[in-house]
Amino acid sequence: MSATRAFDYSGPPEIAAALEQALRRVVDPEMALNIVDLGLVYGVEIDEDTVKVRITMTSAACPVAELILDDVAQELVALLGPRTKIDCELVWDPPWDPERMSPGARMAMGWD
Amino acid sequence: MTAGRIALLALAAASLVAAVLGGLARLGVSIAVPTAAANHGVLMTGGFLGCVISLERAIALGRPYAYAAPLAAGLGAALLLAGFRDAGLVVSLAAPVVLLAVGIDLVRRQPLTHIVLLVVASSCWLAGDAFLLAGAQPDVCAAWWFAFLVLTIAAERLEMTRLARRAPAAAWLFGAAVVLVLCGALLQSWRMDVGGVVFAAGLVAVAAWCAAFDVARRTVRTGGYARYAAIALLAGYAWLAVAGIAWAAMSAGHGAWRDAALHALGLGFVFSMVLAHAPVVVPVVARRRLRYSPLLYVPLALLHASLLVRLAGGAQSFALRRWGGILDAVALLAFAGTLAFTLGRSGSAESKPRTTAESRRSCV
Repeated sequence: MSATRAFDYSGPPEIAAALEQALRRVVDPEMALNIVDLGLVYGVEIDEDTVKVRITMTSAACPVAELILDDVAQELVALLGPRTKIDCELVWDPPWDPERMSPGARMAMGWD
Repeated sequence: MTAGRIALLALAAASLVAAVLGGLARLGVSIAVPTAAANHGVLMTGGFLGCVISLERAIALGRPYAYAAPLAAGLGAALLLAGFRDAGLVVSLAAPVVLLAVGIDLVRRQPLTHIVLLVVASSCWLAGDAFLLAGAQPDVCAAWWFAFLVLTIAAERLEMTRLARRAPAAAWLFGAAVVLVLCGALLQSWRMDVGGVVFAAGLVAVAAWCAAFDVARRTVRTGGYARYAAIALLAGYAWLAVAGIAWAAMSAGHGAWRDAALHALGLGFVFSMVLAHAPVVVPVVARRRLRYSPLLYVPLALLHASLLVRLAGGAQSFALRRWGGILDAVALLAFAGTLAFTLGRSGSAESKPRTTAESRRSCV
C-alpha cells in the first residue's frame, strides 16, 4: 500500500503517475478543475486486471456524477487496456470537504 | 434506461414548445392551440422546468421510483394541453410530491443545507400546484412556482460556493434571502401587496448574494464552457434583480410591470440558467458526449437582447413587447438548434465499458 499526494493508491508503483495523469484528464465542466485537484478521488486499487476506484461528488443531488464516472472509466480503459475491469464506486462517506482540494485548486478558489 | 430518459426529456421539450406557443398567442401571434395559451405558466414551470429538474434529481438519486416525478409533470402537462384540465392538474400535483420524497432520500444520503433547501423548494412547487387546483389567483401560484425555481437554483449555487472561500456572514445572508422569498410567497397568498413586496425583496437579496459569492465570479476568468456558463449565470443574476424591482412595482399596484416581472424572472434568470446548464445536463440524460462550441453564445446573447427589447417597451409599447417575445422564442429555437448541432458533431457514449454502468447501479 502506498499513497500518492492526492488519493490512496494500491497497485503497481510504476503506473501510479500515469494513472494520476489519466484521472486529471477528467474535468468538472463548470469549475474547469479536474477531479483529482477537486479532491473527489478517494482511492484507487489495482488488483491484476481489476481497477477499483472510490470517488465522491460535492453534492448527492448532482446528476453529473454519471458523466464523471463514465469519463473515469474511459480514461482508465485507455490507459490500462480494454480488458481491464473498471469498478467505480460512488461513495458519500467520508463526505467531501474543501480541505480535500489541491493547493493549486484552493488558491484558485481563494482559500490560500 | 437511456431511452426512457430521452422520452421524458422529449415530454419536457413538448411542454416547452407548447408553453412558448402559448406565450406567443398571448402576445397576439396567431396560434391555434387555445389550451397552450390558457396554461402558459403551468406548462413552463411544471411541464418543462419541473419535469427537467425532477429528471435531473432522479438521475442523481438513481432509484426507479424517482422517475415518476418527471413522468407525472410531463403527462400532467400533456393532459392540460389535450383539454383535460382537472385530470392534468391532479396528475401534475403528483410530480412535486414524488420530488419531495426524492429530496428526502437525498438528504438521508448527504444531510447538507443545500439539499434540505432543494426539499423546501419542491414544497413550493407543490404549494403552487395545490393553489392552482384550489382555483387561486394566477399570481399567487406564480409566486410559489417562482419560489420553487429561485430556491432550487439558489440551492445549487450554494453548493457550488462551498468550493470557494466565503465571508463568514455569507451563510446568514443566504438564510435571510431564502426566508424573504418564502415569507413573500406565503404572504402573497393572502395579501398581494405586502407579500409581493417581501417576495420582491427576497428576489433582490438572492440576486445580490449570488452576485457577491457565486464561484461564477472566478470561473468567468477561465475559458471554454466554464466561462460561457459563468457569463450566463452572472447575466441571470442581473435579471433576477430587475425582476425583483419589477415585482415590487407590480405588487404596489403598477400592473403594467407584470410582464416585466414575470419574464425578467422566467426568461432572464431561469432560462439563462437553463442555457448555462443544458450543455452539461442534456449529455447526462442522453448519455451522449457534447463538445463545447462558442456558438452557444449566439442564443444566449439573443435571449438577453430580446428581453431588453421586451422590457424596453414596458407598458407603453405592446409592439415592442410582442417583438421581444417573438425574439425570445427565436432565441430558444436557436439554442435548441445549437445543442442539436453540437450533439450531432460529438461522439456517442455507447463505447463505454459495461462494467461502469453495472458498478454504478450497485453503488448509487
